[in-house]
Amino acid sequence: MVPLHFSHFQALLLFALIISLAFGTLGRRKPIERVKYAAWSFAMFVLVGIALGWLMYPFSR
Amino acid sequence: MFEERTGRPATGEASKGQRLERSGGGAAPPNAESSVLPASETAASEPPNRVPPAARALAVVLAGWLLPGLGHALLRMWGRALAIFLTVGFLVYLGAGMRGNVFEPGGDDAFARLGYIADAGTGSLYFLARTLEVEGSDVSHADGDYGTRFLATAGVLNLLAALHAYEAARGRKA
Repeated sequence: MVPLHFSHFQALLLFALIISLAFGTLGRRKPIERVKYAAWSFAMFVLVGIALGWLMYPFSR
Repeated sequence: MFEERTGRPATGEASKGQRLERSGGGAAPPNAESSVLPASETAASEPPNRVPPAARALAVVLAGWLLPGLGHALLRMWGRALAIFLTVGFLVYLGAGMRGNVFEPGGDDAFARLGYIADAGTGSLYFLARTLEVEGSDVSHADGDYGTRFLATAGVLNLLAALHAYEAARGRKA
């Protein structure tokens, strides 16, 4: 198997995208509600991830 | 295959036969209903609900754990079954491709044991991850560390999906 390489941000985006799709599919019944919930979940994953990254930044060095 | 709400078999020869009997099909005279068996015997001839709801739900959750999405597929929730299979499968593929750590049973510390529980949540895909990682894990780089999280997330997500299928099989809102 070919090793996969991602940057931190790419891995964050990939993770957020996959989990958001699963949450939307499992958490809601109507298609439009699934899309809305998945988009909201994706945005929250990315925003909270970036915010936590900046919060930890002062302690990284 | 189960019928989602009633627990009866999805197709039954007896039910078809009963429909024919009620409609007076075949060579039976129009007033043949009056000559059929008494009500008590008719009820006894109906196909029994062979699988209790609790056992059915247990089978669904077990199937969902063993193969991601199979629990929902048994309940004919095709969209969710496909989404779960693709999601968990893709996470396992990415985690193994990033050389994440696939924990083995009998870990030395609590972290390894918890990691194994999370990884084992993927069911049969746990062995797929071990097969894909021919060079073993490498958590000395960020990729491997992310891969470990991807694999653990795949397992926990599959367990969540199996519980969701269980709730649906029990007739609760899901």
